[in-house]
Amino acid sequence: MRIIDLAVKDLKQLVRSWMTVVFLVIMPIGFTLFFGLIFGGTGGEEDPRLPVGLIDRDGGSVLSVYLIDLLDASDAIRPVVSDESVERVEKKVGDEDLAAAVIVPAGYSEQVLAGKDVALTIIVDSATAAGSTAQSGVQTAVTRLRGAVKAAQLSAEAFEATGGSPDDAFLADALGKAIAAWHEPPLTVAATQSGIAAEAEDEEGPVVANAYAQASPGMMVQFSIAGIIGAAQIVVLERKSRSLQRLLTTAISRVEIVVGHYLTMFVMIFLQLALLVGFGQLALGLDYLREPVATLLLAVTMSLWTASLGLLIGTLAKTEEQAIIFSMIPMFILSGMGGAWMPLEVTGKAFQTAGHLLPTAWAMDGIQNILVRGLGLESALLPAGIMTAYGIVLFALAAWRFKFE
Amino acid sequence: MKTLDIAFKDLLRSLRNYFFLGFGIGVPVLMSVIFYFAFGGLASEGGFDIPQVDVSVVNLDEPVAEYGGSSVGQMIGQILEENESIFKVTHAESAAGARTAVDNQEADVAVIIPAGFTVAAFDLEGQAEIEVYQDPTLTLGPSIVRGIISQIVDGFAGAGIAVRVVNDQLDEQGIELDADSRWRVYADYGDWARALGENERFNSLLAIQSPAGGKDEDVNSALALVGGVMTGMMVFYAFYTGAASAMGILQEKEGGTLPRLFTTPTPMSAILGGKLIAVFALVVVQVAVLMAFSSLIFRTDWGAPGSLSLAIVGLVVLAASFGIFIMSWLKDTRQAGVVIGGVMTVLGMVGISSVFTANVPGAAGGFAETLPLFVPQGWAMHTWRLVMDGGNVGDVLLPFAVMIALTIGFFTVGVLRFRKRFA
Repeated sequence: MRIIDLAVKDLKQLVRSWMTVVFLVIMPIGFTLFFGLIFGGTGGEEDPRLPVGLIDRDGGSVLSVYLIDLLDASDAIRPVVSDESVERVEKKVGDEDLAAAVIVPAGYSEQVLAGKDVALTIIVDSATAAGSTAQSGVQTAVTRLRGAVKAAQLSAEAFEATGGSPDDAFLADALGKAIAAWHEPPLTVAATQSGIAAEAEDEEGPVVANAYAQASPGMMVQFSIAGIIGAAQIVVLERKSRSLQRLLTTAISRVEIVVGHYLTMFVMIFLQLALLVGFGQLALGLDYLREPVATLLLAVTMSLWTASLGLLIGTLAKTEEQAIIFSMIPMFILSGMGGAWMPLEVTGKAFQTAGHLLPTAWAMDGIQNILVRGLGLESALLPAGIMTAYGIVLFALAAWRFKFE
Repeated sequence: MKTLDIAFKDLLRSLRNYFFLGFGIGVPVLMSVIFYFAFGGLASEGGFDIPQVDVSVVNLDEPVAEYGGSSVGQMIGQILEENESIFKVTHAESAAGARTAVDNQEADVAVIIPAGFTVAAFDLEGQAEIEVYQDPTLTLGPSIVRGIISQIVDGFAGAGIAVRVVNDQLDEQGIELDADSRWRVYADYGDWARALGENERFNSLLAIQSPAGGKDEDVNSALALVGGVMTGMMVFYAFYTGAASAMGILQEKEGGTLPRLFTTPTPMSAILGGKLIAVFALVVVQVAVLMAFSSLIFRTDWGAPGSLSLAIVGLVVLAASFGIFIMSWLKDTRQAGVVIGGVMTVLGMVGISSVFTANVPGAAGGFAETLPLFVPQGWAMHTWRLVMDGGNVGDVLLPFAVMIALTIGFFTVGVLRFRKRFA
């Protein structure tokens, strides 16, 4: 009972602070929305494909028209025909307004149809992800275009071999057929996804179906750590003001004091997570509650380990400033390395391995197993177990080092 | 002289402060190091260290005696296996088994090659589809698998299209395409496609040109990225430092040292002036230390000296004056803590959002691209990006002018409010 009294006192103290509201609620929601927005979570764009500028110096020749047609058929890129100068389009690529720009040189169609090798110029910053994706998309379209030309030439050769004499109309007809065939090629590669994305049948290509599926759990993980600042500061303040010592003169035991403070942090983080899960479910269209028990288990174990970290910080910090620094630095490390900011998949192998030594990576895995992969309770057990183990170790450290003066 | 004494004293105090050392220097360095290791810092040649993609292949296609005993499915599997630095290939017995491997996270991608794929590749009416089933949380690995398989499949599809076109064209002329001619078309198209693939990555099709100011492919990608991250961190934390340093005025007021100072013969303008100089000086120290660190460790290319000077000056004066402006509206350090922790973080993250989208195709378009320019950090970041992308003085003049205009506004309001408060 005394433990609960102490926890309720701490919680009241925290709720009265603006900082608590900012760190626990406003910032995680704000950042979730922001990251969702910048990673394309609005879903409102008419055409989410990467824009690729096209300067046609071949004056609307037959191959330019077919090239635009094939580029437009791409899942990854869309052509933006431009009348601007090469310099202006190049600047747009440099400014990342365009992912790349293709220049069709004068006489391209005539020369290629005559069997000459003429290259299109592509202005692209291949060092960027958007640039390399655009380059690959353009390459596919150009290869198909040249393949269609080859098919038309083979067609003409075959006709000649039978004694016929193919004219321009024959070639144009063959080319048109080959281009049309590329819209429904005989052999294709279909990309399918497991889990929620497959259920939603969202075809956003290599991007997860709902951009908030990364941002929402990521910010949950990050700000659960930020949320412990206030509670850790209370421990520091009580020690500095000798309240802890005074408490020891009452009937409350040392263990009850430590557990009381721990309970405060646990409840606070759990409530924060509940609120963010509710926000994700209702406002962001993320189905956290499709596996309610698994989500609950993950929220409880996340609260367990984060509260233990908070208690350890409150134990180690001597001043309120130190409590902030001791919270923020682990927050940055654990969030960054745990995949809260960007999927660990885009990082190097060593980084991924190191990341999975941290509970944050397991928290992300656990939540995404439910949210994105569409798995069940069993997929939450290992992450929950690892977070619990972290919670126990950190709590033991905090209890061991806890000082009352 | 007294102004400088006060400034020097404040600067020394800040430099000894945990908060400045932790947030002003430690955290930005830490964040840059994290990004450095995240994006290939451990790679042997400084490029991106892409981890092996676990691919579960199920090949239901069978060799067809009629087509020389070949199997396109087998060939696809072999090509994936040959790229062992990129793919770790395992074989599944059935499509369900391969999908289960992905569902259980034992594989990143399942490649399901249907029965009769080879027949479809060589049949005039054939139609077949390879399924690339992926873990929905992954992007990079599956897209590489899809890219390679699509290239191979496009080769066969192109040959199939060529044969169909020849067949249709001859048919329209009343000529039947015999088996030998059909195979010749396949062979000719195959030779052409193979020659294209071997021709130094399609160089005969595309002449690749980097945009002026863009990064060449041989620039160390990880270091280029970290340079951007370090810039973002510098901008983000310079504003923190400006605000935290200006908070010193509130701290001294609460501690009673400021009112005591006002009782001395030192004029108020000298006292406030000294404190403001200390704010600017601290941001200068921070920017200098971070730039030196980044230059030494990450070999960051900061761009042309002229435009870089403008970016430095703009950042320092804007971060410091914004800190003074913000603090002039707050009553005490408690409020300041909330503002530094909350408001400055939000504004900072918005301002440097381009750092987070740098490696994500298609991210940060539209409103998300304009949004940063609604906060001062966004203008600073915009200027630094221009400089690091090779911009000259002319390129950065406009954002620099905006930064100076904002500085004048923030500084004027801030100083007037402090003067009024302590008058």
